[in-house]
Amino acid sequence: MAVALVTTPRPGVKHFIGIDFDFGALKNSGRRYWGFIAVLGTFIVLGGAAWLLYFTHGGSVMAMRDGSPWGLWFTNYMYYVGLAAGGLVVYASVHLFGAEQFRPLSRIAVLLAGVFVMMALLGIITDMERPWRAVWMLLTPNPTSPFVYTGSAAGIYMVICFVDLWILITGFGGEKLARRMTLIALPVAIYLHTTTAFVLSMNKSRELWHTAMMVPIFLSSAIASGIALLLISAYVLTKVTDIRFKPSMFRSLSTLLSTVMIIDLFLITVDVLSVFWPTSASSGHTLRFAEFLSGRYAWAFLPVLILGFGAFALLSRRKTRHLPAVQITASVMYVVAVLFKRYSLMAMGFSYTTLGQKLPIYFPSAAEVFLALGILAFGMLILTVGVKVLPMEVPEYEDAEVTSL
Amino acid sequence: MSQKEEHVPSCDATDCVEPGPTLSRRRFLEGIGVAAGLVAAGAVPAVLTAGPATAADSGSAESGNVLADVIEHDGAVNYPGKPVYYADEAGDQKWAMVIDVKACVGCRKCVYACIKENNIGRNAGFGYIQVLEMEPGKIELESARSDYKEGGQPDKWYLPVQCMHCEKPTCVYGCPVKATWREPDGIVVIDYEKCIACRNCIVTCPYSARHFNWYEPEVPKNEVNPKVPLEEKAGVVEKCTFCVQRTRNGMTTACVEACPVGARTFGDLNDPESAVSKLISTRRAFRLKEELGSEPVIWYVG
Repeated sequence: MAVALVTTPRPGVKHFIGIDFDFGALKNSGRRYWGFIAVLGTFIVLGGAAWLLYFTHGGSVMAMRDGSPWGLWFTNYMYYVGLAAGGLVVYASVHLFGAEQFRPLSRIAVLLAGVFVMMALLGIITDMERPWRAVWMLLTPNPTSPFVYTGSAAGIYMVICFVDLWILITGFGGEKLARRMTLIALPVAIYLHTTTAFVLSMNKSRELWHTAMMVPIFLSSAIASGIALLLISAYVLTKVTDIRFKPSMFRSLSTLLSTVMIIDLFLITVDVLSVFWPTSASSGHTLRFAEFLSGRYAWAFLPVLILGFGAFALLSRRKTRHLPAVQITASVMYVVAVLFKRYSLMAMGFSYTTLGQKLPIYFPSAAEVFLALGILAFGMLILTVGVKVLPMEVPEYEDAEVTSL
Repeated sequence: MSQKEEHVPSCDATDCVEPGPTLSRRRFLEGIGVAAGLVAAGAVPAVLTAGPATAADSGSAESGNVLADVIEHDGAVNYPGKPVYYADEAGDQKWAMVIDVKACVGCRKCVYACIKENNIGRNAGFGYIQVLEMEPGKIELESARSDYKEGGQPDKWYLPVQCMHCEKPTCVYGCPVKATWREPDGIVVIDYEKCIACRNCIVTCPYSARHFNWYEPEVPKNEVNPKVPLEEKAGVVEKCTFCVQRTRNGMTTACVEACPVGARTFGDLNDPESAVSKLISTRRAFRLKEELGSEPVIWYVG
């Protein structure tokens, strides 16, 4: 039935690069859909205005200063890159490890991943005062700069995601190519999260960042928040579209989520321990980290632990963990926890200058917030339209096998 | 350290112990010292033997030994091969600075002279130099203050910090587009026309020496220094250049010139007779955050 949905010609369906774009669905969609699009459009316009303000007034409209040279855009970069990981994990588990229960999710997962990485890249571009100079990244890249690697990794990952989506939708190359693409995409994903962690950890100037632990923490946070986001998205899809998923899929997803979650929480706990353990504590570290446990940044860091462990507790209660409400709550808690974690990570580098001078706490300015919301709205717009126009529903597996053979 | 050990054959034990009118007691002891260092083959003895020798007969070929690592290291990092457009080409010097923290009174004259010389926006909110008011008894940055009231208190000491022009500059390594580099004479410079404003160099610098122009720099018309760029600096990173526009033309830096107590000395490490070489090899000198290994070329003496 699902296959017929893709191939039967319907009014408004345009066939292009092997994909049936169902523009007719846009015409038939209701007021609420267009209302949502209008809200997104408003935020995109506001974000554009904020970017324009940045061009005309320079960085003065931002809250960032020399003490915290990176701000909301960097928090979001780490966050979006991380959220994009979930897509790949699901995609890889289907095509590499044969986790068939996730197959219905694979298209939406890859679309999410691509859009989130695109948002991360937009964050970098809009932060530059002269974005056209970014061409130097290609002409004279500096091999010792972690920035070059994370930037290129994000670009490559985005392309891979959209190519993957095309392969999944068109069925081009069949199961074999989908599997081979995973073999490329998975290392690139690990490379992306590793090099993003490098941007922080490869700095001997910033005590709290300067730990190799940053890399596994980035991987675990990314995968955990990515899976949580996917679970939320799948739930939202069942509410706003005709796409339906089996309860068993949600159950597998939340089991995977709780496993990665506890690894993530374990790693951060170990890292906190090593900062304060008497035989390892150094005054600069403890002074800076104390800000995050009991000082000015406690509001940002304590939720990471509270929400994180809370979400894990919710998912580990045998009696209730199969309930969608519990799974969604835990997922939302973890996605929020990781956002706080990204902000804390950013602030950990910038709570004091490298000369030990205490800095005022960083809050993004209105221009920064609107710019970030504009980028987010742009991403959401692509998702909203994409889900409507692209054939997101994965045909039943039996059918898929037949077509791929 | 291998460089130190290479020096040993030029004055090996037999050569120095050979009896003759030229052999002084000091040379003999030094020879023994070097031999001991060779036997131990460790880093510490080698440094110990080099130390007394330089203190004893500064001016001899060995006087530079303590700085051998710095001098012999090829200064250029990511050098694109073209000179900074507003200064002369690098000479064969290896520039360095020595700041006498015993003399510094924290008057910030250097800060203001630097702002004027280098066209730093009066609205920028930064200067290339930050003077830290230090608590007595420790070199602890976390208890230092950069926003102290001027005048200098007798129970505090003052530590001026600026770009250290490191031998292994983390900022240069961190720049994704090679818009900043270390010139052959050791000065770390920025190409304002190329900087993409990612501010990664600010993040990587352990000395908070780099500053971003969040505002368009404003300088009163009659105070603009025509030898230094101004408009180009809007929206990019800038920092101390060791006054490249002055020092390559035989002048000294603006901060050295402005210091009322003569706490600052600028000069050429390649020249063993220069004031900086002598200060570093004869006084108790230290560098800030030396443990990070970025080999800064600003020494502090106390």
